[in-house]
Amino acid sequence: MSSETIEFFFSFRSPYSYLAAPRAFQLPENYEVDIRFRGVMPMAMRGQSVPSQKRIHTMFDTKREANRLGMPFGPVFDPIGDGAVRCLRVSELAVGQQLEKQFVLAVSRAIWAEGVDVSSDEGLRPICIAAGLDWHACLQAISDPLIEARVEKNVEDLLELGQWGVPVFRFRDQLLWGQDRIEDLERLLDAAGLRR
Amino acid sequence: MAVSGLKNRIEKNLAPSLIIRLSEVDAPMRLAARAKRARGQRGSVELFFAFDDASSAYALISLAELVNQRDVDLIPRPVVDRGIPDDPAVDRKRSYAIDDAVRLFARGGTELVRRTPIDPEATAWLAQWVADAPQSAALTDFTVEAVRLLWLTDGQQPDRERFERLWSEKLGGSPPAVGDGLASNELRMARLRMYETPAAWVTGRWFFAHERVAQIGEWLDRLGWEER
Repeated sequence: MSSETIEFFFSFRSPYSYLAAPRAFQLPENYEVDIRFRGVMPMAMRGQSVPSQKRIHTMFDTKREANRLGMPFGPVFDPIGDGAVRCLRVSELAVGQQLEKQFVLAVSRAIWAEGVDVSSDEGLRPICIAAGLDWHACLQAISDPLIEARVEKNVEDLLELGQWGVPVFRFRDQLLWGQDRIEDLERLLDAAGLRR
Repeated sequence: MAVSGLKNRIEKNLAPSLIIRLSEVDAPMRLAARAKRARGQRGSVELFFAFDDASSAYALISLAELVNQRDVDLIPRPVVDRGIPDDPAVDRKRSYAIDDAVRLFARGGTELVRRTPIDPEATAWLAQWVADAPQSAALTDFTVEAVRLLWLTDGQQPDRERFERLWSEKLGGSPPAVGDGLASNELRMARLRMYETPAAWVTGRWFFAHERVAQIGEWLDRLGWEER
C-alpha cells in the first residue's frame, strides 16, 4: 500500500478507457501510488446524447491511437446495455479480490479487439475465469443490489468532480481527462517526488 | 437469427468494426496529395477554432510551428457557435479546458497566463475579422499573434483597439466589414462532421487538434508533405 492514490474513472464502453488501462495499471510499478479503479456507466446510458459523428470519429481516432501505442483495436462488440452493466458489476467484485487489473485488461481487450459479446454468458464467463474470478460469484455480483449501488456511487463521484467523460484520473486536487493525458499525470507524479 | 438479433449484431459489432477497417484506407488521400503537388500546389491544414477556447489557443500555436518547415499552409477558420447541441457540460468543459491547456503548454515550457474563461461573445468580433478576410500568410500570422495576446500575454478583457493596431501592423488598413465568413466556416465545419473545437481538417481526415499535433505531423508525412 502506498500513501498516495490515483482514482481511475473508467467505462467499459469507452475505447479511450481501453487504451488507458494498461498504462494506468502500470503506474504503481513506476511510482509510489495505488490505483483505485472506479467503473462508471457509459454516457449514453446516463442520458447524455452522443452524436453519430462523434461515434464515427472516435473509431477513427482510437484506431490511430491504438496503432501508436501498439495495441490491437477491432473487431469490436459495443457493450452498451447489458454488457456494460455486467462488466461494471463484475469489476466491483474483482476490486474486492484485488483482481481488477486482470479482469479490466482482459475484458476490455475482448470488447475492443476481439469482438466478444460480453452481454452473453458464453462471452463473459471465460474472461472472468481467466482473470481468476469464480463464475458463480460473478453471477451473484451481477444481480447484487449492493454492488449496483457501488457502481452508482462511482458515477455520482465523477459528476461531483465536475467531470463528464472518461477516462479521468484524479491525483490530489488535479483532474486529468483522457488517455493522452497520462504523460501529464506522470509529470505531476515526478514533481511530487513519487518516482520509485 | 431473429431480426432483432441481426440488428443488434450489425449495430454493435459489424458496423463499428467496418468503420475501423475503413479508417485505414488512405490511398485516395495520398493520391490526391500527390496530384496536388504535381500541380505545384501546397498542402493545407484547416483549423476550426474559437478565440475564446484555451484548447484552440494551444492547437493554433502548435500547428503554426508544425507547418513552418513544410510546404503546408495553416488556414485559420474561426467559429463562434460549436459543440454538441444542449450539451449539459458546456460550462464545465470551458473551465476544464483552461486547466488542461495549462498542462499542455507546460509540456513545452510555456505558461498560460489567462486563467479565466472568455465569453464567446467577447471575441466574436475578432473571429469575424479573420473569417471575413482573404486567406494569406499574413492573416495566419495575425491570428497566431492575436491568440498569443489573448492567452499568453495577459488575462485582461480583450481590448478591441489593441487588436486593431495589431491588424494594421500585420495586414495594413482596418479589419474587414461584417460578411458571411463566420457562417460559412460554421457550415463547413458541420459539413465535415466536426462538432467541437479545435478541429483540424487535413486532406480527408479530421483530428482534435490540441491533442493530436504529433499525429497530424505523421499524417502530413504520409501524404508526402514532410519537413524540409
